[in-house]
Amino acid sequence: MRLVLILLIIASLNLAAQAIENTTLENENTIQTRVDRIGTTLLNKNKTDKRIVFTYNKQTKKKALSADKSISNRQVVIYDGLYQSIQTDDELAAMLSREISTVLKAYNGIIDSAQVTLGAKKFETVADKRAVDYMVNAGYNPLALIVFINKTCPQKRFDRFSRHNLTSKRLAKIYEYITYKYPQYLENNEYINNQYYQNFLLTSIENRKKLDEKIKTKSTKEIDYE
Amino acid sequence: MNKFAGFLLVLSLLILPTANAQNLDYNYQSTYSVPIKLSITENFSTKKPLNEGDILQFKTIEDVYVHNTKILEKGTPVSAKIETLITSGMNGFPDEIILNHFEIPGIKDSQLMDEYIKTGQNRCIWVYPLKWALTPVPPVGSFTNLIKGGHAQIKTDHVITIYYYPEWK
Repeated sequence: MRLVLILLIIASLNLAAQAIENTTLENENTIQTRVDRIGTTLLNKNKTDKRIVFTYNKQTKKKALSADKSISNRQVVIYDGLYQSIQTDDELAAMLSREISTVLKAYNGIIDSAQVTLGAKKFETVADKRAVDYMVNAGYNPLALIVFINKTCPQKRFDRFSRHNLTSKRLAKIYEYITYKYPQYLENNEYINNQYYQNFLLTSIENRKKLDEKIKTKSTKEIDYE
Repeated sequence: MNKFAGFLLVLSLLILPTANAQNLDYNYQSTYSVPIKLSITENFSTKKPLNEGDILQFKTIEDVYVHNTKILEKGTPVSAKIETLITSGMNGFPDEIILNHFEIPGIKDSQLMDEYIKTGQNRCIWVYPLKWALTPVPPVGSFTNLIKGGHAQIKTDHVITIYYYPEWK
């Protein structure tokens, strides 16, 4: 009797482990399908005639010193750590659009690929701007890029010697780009009741004042954002 | 009953592929394309202040035919939008301009493969080796930061070719 009981427990534990494994696989499959769907929509709607593959990776972030797959393999890898911050399709489109821009640059040859790496700060801004265009062309709301970056990128102390721009500068530049090029998204702002977008508005008052001044004076000079 | 089931099966086989196609507002099956050759109406350079979203004026430099039917006359005005402007930077990074959304009378934007990229002189190729060669002598290597890349220019004699896919949606 005891033996039967032990066998039953082992069998049920086995079944439970299998069920958990199946659920994990199903979850991963669901995420991969979502990533593929939105990624391919972005490529097709932007008439991108270069092959790009989207891959969901369970790791929380890229391993240190490993090659950037968007440049070496022309592949967009979405790490779980970032995916966890994504709530809407617009936000996922924002994340993928940024990467598509880097991959397309890698298609231009080794020199362009090297430039993306050497001029990381410069191409960070370019990738942000291109991402806005890709999103608009594919029917996604570009304000989601602001929300996504505001949620996921920390604010460093300074960027003078860094390979990346201050997040507040990036956000201000994206906001300016949308203001000039796609003002309709700000006029009929679907994100006005989004708490993350409101947080951006709150933390960008000084930068937005600078933009207001630029618009008022019709200046074409680049704003020195904080 | 069997006949009815058979009818349903045939109906679903007929409807399903159409239903899938109807979900998409594009169809890139056709490979038939017509080149449209353009030239800018006046010399352009990124030296002058520009904004993304600004419009540049072009004109067709020859008649355009689709299946032997003339659809565009030589000299037809065409406008294009500055999609992205990448300003030149330290260490020889050049200006880069990305044009898109060419507006041609009677042609939908969705039927055009029309992204055009023009880059200025890329000085990174010699600036970076120079920088690395000078790095052992501080701070001479940092002086290359002062070298900027070239401006992007489009001259009136420069031919830009975009492609029109008349059978695309």
